[in-house]
Amino acid sequence: MPVKVLAFAGSPRRGGNSETLLDWVLASMAKEADVTVEKIPLTEANVNPCKGCNACQKLNKCVQRDGMDIVHDKIIAADIIVLAAPIFCMGIAAQAKMLIDRAQVFTSRKYVLKLPVVPVERKGKRLGIFLSTAGQDWSYVFDAAVPSVKCFFNVIEVKDRDVSYLMINHVDEKGAILDHPTAKADAEKLGAAVIAEIRKRLAA
Amino acid sequence: MVITVLGISGSPHRHGNTETLLDSFLDGAKAAGAEVGKVVLKDLDYAPCRGCNACHKTGDCVVKDDAIVLFEKVLKCDCLAIASPIYTMGITAELKGFIDRGQFLWARKFVLKTLYFTDEHIKRHKGLFVSTAGQNWDHVFDGAFPAITAIFNGTGFEYYDNIIANNMDEYKGIKNHPTAMKEAYEKGQKVVAVLENLNKGPA
Repeated sequence: MPVKVLAFAGSPRRGGNSETLLDWVLASMAKEADVTVEKIPLTEANVNPCKGCNACQKLNKCVQRDGMDIVHDKIIAADIIVLAAPIFCMGIAAQAKMLIDRAQVFTSRKYVLKLPVVPVERKGKRLGIFLSTAGQDWSYVFDAAVPSVKCFFNVIEVKDRDVSYLMINHVDEKGAILDHPTAKADAEKLGAAVIAEIRKRLAA
Repeated sequence: MVITVLGISGSPHRHGNTETLLDSFLDGAKAAGAEVGKVVLKDLDYAPCRGCNACHKTGDCVVKDDAIVLFEKVLKCDCLAIASPIYTMGITAELKGFIDRGQFLWARKFVLKTLYFTDEHIKRHKGLFVSTAGQNWDHVFDGAFPAITAIFNGTGFEYYDNIIANNMDEYKGIKNHPTAMKEAYEKGQKVVAVLENLNKGPA
């Protein structure tokens, strides 16, 4: 059964630490048979911030016409959604927060209009991964990002227990993650494990 | 000397719950004799941080836009009130985009060591966070505090207080909240009085 992976590289820095971590995960997934991987760098996605107009609560769609039109459909179509973003100033980078806030249309669909976000037969057959890196070595440096990420996955119909996290602190300068003792191996292990899990779910 | 108070509204939604709460705070500050200003982020033209780290070498941002002008304003005021509604368990992308641009100040403090705020300076510069959330969860603001702490630290402000109100969805707006508007007004008055006293110095 084919598996569709959709990944967002949420850093303004192309090829930096969080995107490298993402590339390791995606490479391990792409090695498997019948897996298609698409990576969207948010710097090129043309996704604007949410206007907070709440029109989606009535219209079931966003009033803005931008890159989110395409991203919205891709989010629904994917079996595995991967979000990678660095921590800036103790929170998720603004570029990634823009995408997360634009998921408001899914929030409205799910909780206000009470309409399905994905067809009912695909519920429980979607998995998520959050990848992050931070320059600081504090263990709590990811704490403020995680609640927003949980919300994002919840409204796009990826259950909380179906989201995996790999967050690497103390990598600041570009390329620092290459010297991390475990990041690459952990990323590859995670990619393979999530593909194995989605195959089980899709076959069920 | 007149106390200067700067309010920054990070909501994309003009005159919504958060901006209205900020206005009440600013009204209180004005009534107490402060010189008050408000900047609405959605009306400014600025890009998010590129993460290029050029500021780690020069102490300046390579992007010259309204964010830099606003940081200059921030560094000059005595009291800074930063306002944002909670979107998806965090501050808005507009405000996060602005906060992230403060990296050049972080670089001056910690990489280049050309910027240092004395304890006395920090004591005389008070920062407040103004926020509202639709959700009724108590922890709905928790994801916002660290980034707010970061900008106050970076710009030399003591994180003095919060003016926050949750459960807006049920109240149907801040004006129906039993205490928030009055609390904001009083906190505006109070912080100006506190800063005036500090400026008088030891008796």
